[in-house]
Amino acid sequence: MPFQPKMLRIVLLSLTLLLLVACGGSGPADSDSSAADQPPQQETLAISGAFALFPMVTVWAEEYQKVNPNVRFDIQAGGAGKGMTDVLAGAVDIAMVSRELRPIELEQEAYGVPVTIDAVIGTLNANNPYLEQIQTQGISRETATGIWITGDITTWGQALGIDDDTPINVYTRSDASGAGEMWSLFLGGDAQEDVLGTAVNADPGLAEAVRQDPLGVGYNNIGFAYDQTTELPIAGLEIIPIDLNGDGRLSDDEKFYDTRDQLTAAIAVEIYPFPPARVLYLVTKGEPSPTIVDFYRWILNEGQAFVPDAGYVRLNEARLTEALSLLP
Amino acid sequence: MEVITKETIRSDKIIKVNPFKLNPWRRLKDLLSGGLMSIVITAILALILIMGMLLLVRSWPIMSTYPLRELLTSTTWRPTRGEFGFAPFIVGSLTVTLIAGFIAVIPALLSGIYLAEYTSRRSRSRLKPLLDLLVGIPSVVYGLWGILFIVPLIRDHAGPWSDRVLGGTFPFFARTNPSGYGLLAGGFVLGVMIFPIIVAVTDEVLRNVPREMRESLQALGATRWEATKVVVFKASLPGVLAAVVLGFSRAFGETLAVMMVVGNNPNIPASLFDTAYPLPALIANNYSEMMSIPMYDSALMGAALLLLVVILFFNVVARLTIMRVSR
Repeated sequence: MPFQPKMLRIVLLSLTLLLLVACGGSGPADSDSSAADQPPQQETLAISGAFALFPMVTVWAEEYQKVNPNVRFDIQAGGAGKGMTDVLAGAVDIAMVSRELRPIELEQEAYGVPVTIDAVIGTLNANNPYLEQIQTQGISRETATGIWITGDITTWGQALGIDDDTPINVYTRSDASGAGEMWSLFLGGDAQEDVLGTAVNADPGLAEAVRQDPLGVGYNNIGFAYDQTTELPIAGLEIIPIDLNGDGRLSDDEKFYDTRDQLTAAIAVEIYPFPPARVLYLVTKGEPSPTIVDFYRWILNEGQAFVPDAGYVRLNEARLTEALSLLP
Repeated sequence: MEVITKETIRSDKIIKVNPFKLNPWRRLKDLLSGGLMSIVITAILALILIMGMLLLVRSWPIMSTYPLRELLTSTTWRPTRGEFGFAPFIVGSLTVTLIAGFIAVIPALLSGIYLAEYTSRRSRSRLKPLLDLLVGIPSVVYGLWGILFIVPLIRDHAGPWSDRVLGGTFPFFARTNPSGYGLLAGGFVLGVMIFPIIVAVTDEVLRNVPREMRESLQALGATRWEATKVVVFKASLPGVLAAVVLGFSRAFGETLAVMMVVGNNPNIPASLFDTAYPLPALIANNYSEMMSIPMYDSALMGAALLLLVVILFFNVVARLTIMRVSR
């Protein structure tokens, strides 16, 4: 019969299609019930969210896996907002969130556990023509507000109190981010949308935009402003020191931006203001599952040892006890 | 089993043969494939309808709270304060698309003509795969190229030059935003992205024009360009128009690459160097944040609906024009 091979293919194809349709309907339910019956198999925890937490969670996942080879991790950075949406929609198990949880999120059973602390810092290009002056004067909070929130300050002359009308190129984040919100709160805004500037996608994107523009200013999470290995600001970037007391010069106790360690030390003793320093959370929808609780418990005990090396700040004793008490 | 030959088909005998008896599998196959195909095509067409309905339902809260006119014309976008103006995004989408069109369409049509009419078969066989490769490059790569190459080029060279030479007379060319991110960068990246699509379709369309048409024209003494002109304008204008429309549709909906270089500020751009914020970028950037702010979800669904409606409108108008031209 000359028709058979072709016909067989069509029959097979339609059968496959039917199968696919059938699987789509019943697949998730099946896997759910089998997971409940026999728990201690390979389990994969899907995590997504804040760029701020991404490097830290990667380290934790790696170390945790050494002790618990049964748990695998699938970690993606996409901004705090994305993580929150994903976890509330059930797309991932854990969200990394780099800002306080909002009431409307708590209403939807967002369950946050603080795990570490980091900060958002202002950045500028290493070839900025006024670099030396900025590093001796610092930028006061009011000046930063003028640059990012009100838009009153548009030139380097206005920012530094000199006669110069070279423009400041202001950059901000375009995606919903904890960093954007913290920077806004620090400067007296309410939400990320209050921050002015050319908006660029993601933490690495913002660092790159400033790294390319000699007159550019931006802000980044510590993990993306400092080099992971050298612990110095990444090549081409410098940190904008904050003139904390607003006296027009950077005094010795305000100089802690040279290395990541100096900065995290300043955050730990809260010299660096909160915000833009902030507590970072891992968030689940509802109470975390036993596997996740175990991971959390490990993070809050053994895991804290890896925090300084990764460039973050440990939770202090009071915060740790509070975090542990949140675990069911 | 009876063997089917041309003779049996030609004779009247075939009418008396029950096809089921002849080969029951054939009948089954025919039924199966016919049914399957009609189901699939209906499902795909229904998808557009379902998408539209879904978006309408999800965006209803905002559509029913604010008058449509205000939503479409207001220029303030501050969702946390309950102000939803879509105008900057609509204008942003249109201007980026137009700039991409300005940059891409003419060179793409000329390249398509060159590929179809002027190259030897050998060089064509080398150029065509390269062109197809350009279509297949992921948009994030185009976006990165935009950030690393186009943005600095505009910031350091094109921007200052345009400001010096044209900016004084035409405010549209004044360098209002020195960062390099903005309309021009978005339009340029987009133009490069839609270029290969227009070239490929133009090439296909032109190659479908019967060879005799050109040959008879050239026999009458027309040059190759004259023959091409006649062929392009008489025989393949509808197809060429379709190629351009395809390019524009792609440009209007393209998200990632544009988002990476366009500056994402909800303002109405007044200059080529201003930042802009196209609709797809709005959705991609903020979809994640929607659940925290009242109505935000609904507003983004509204933006998606708007995008769908504009693209549909675009295609219908283009289809009508093509039908008129080809008559």
